[in-house]
Amino acid sequence: MKELDLLKKDWKKNSDSFEQISEKEIYKMIHKKSSSIVKWILIISILEVLFWTISNYFSNIDDFLNNIHHPEIILYMEILMYFNYAVILVFIYFFYKNYKTISTIVSTKLLMSSILRTRKTVQYYVWYNLGMIVVSSILSFFIGYVYNPDMAIVREKLALNGKAMLFSIGALVLLTLLFFGLFWCIYRLLYGTLLRRLYANYKELKKIDF
Amino acid sequence: MSENLEQSFVTQLQANQNIIHKICRLYTAGEDAHKDLFQEITIQLWKAYPKFRGDSKFSTWTYRVALNTAITLYRKTKRTVSTVEYESHQHFVKDVDYNYEEEEQIKLMYKAVYQLNDIEKALVFMYLEDKDYQEIAETLGISEVNARVKMNRIKGKLKKILNP
Repeated sequence: MKELDLLKKDWKKNSDSFEQISEKEIYKMIHKKSSSIVKWILIISILEVLFWTISNYFSNIDDFLNNIHHPEIILYMEILMYFNYAVILVFIYFFYKNYKTISTIVSTKLLMSSILRTRKTVQYYVWYNLGMIVVSSILSFFIGYVYNPDMAIVREKLALNGKAMLFSIGALVLLTLLFFGLFWCIYRLLYGTLLRRLYANYKELKKIDF
Repeated sequence: MSENLEQSFVTQLQANQNIIHKICRLYTAGEDAHKDLFQEITIQLWKAYPKFRGDSKFSTWTYRVALNTAITLYRKTKRTVSTVEYESHQHFVKDVDYNYEEEEQIKLMYKAVYQLNDIEKALVFMYLEDKDYQEIAETLGISEVNARVKMNRIKGKLKKILNP
């Protein structure tokens, strides 16, 4: 076939015309999968902070706290909030650092250890957040119960009835556990999937590293 | 050990990268798609590298793994390449023009090859690479007779596309 031979001629003529890819770029390519997962971890954690900040902005927690007339509680809550933001920012900084290292790394061994480090960071992050959820639920129940003037009547009634008191404490514990479980599921879905993929990459790398 | 393995892989791939570039030229249109496929093939080669025992040449092994990757990916996306996309691909091919008519014909041929399916493209690729039927058969995992029959059919198909 004449046309096919013509094509072959052209094919050979152009077979060296490609922009050459450097060794460094090849290294980057074979590590790319992990770096994109770590990038997603970073993005999701930032989105999460934004989500909480915005939802805080729209909630009427301030009105509620003003209603209580205990300025020291507002102060404590603010301290807790800023502390929380500081810790989360530190975590985001670590996520960013992990992402930077993983996307520029050239050796498999280093990549494997940074994957493990990233996993640890994410696990700590999730546990911190879950702990914070438990602490803040307990705190808000406590503040809502002890300091809320609207609760005065309920308080008096409950103080007289031990059984009802026990019952309501039980209900609050259950509610806290429910929150905990809910967020645990959400985190599992968000970060768990990414971590599983990252771990699959790790295992793949380990196979190569005999 | 692993560092050495990785180093040797990267060095060999770097030296043989034109094989992958050529496959990308046949299977993709446009610079981005070319880069994506190149990267995907590189990842697949790297994954398969521990199984590469060195009983065949690195280049032969690259042909096999890279073509298989292109074929599987092509199956997944099932994209049809339109003429517009094909034109954008043109800047890839450095053409030194001396014969306008010949050049037109080459363009039409590329366009025709684009319309072939994934396996047919692989055969054309091997043919363009001057591989004999035995090597084509081995690389694609078909019999030599089958490769010959397929190649003849492809020639017929190309003729049909060129002269409808």
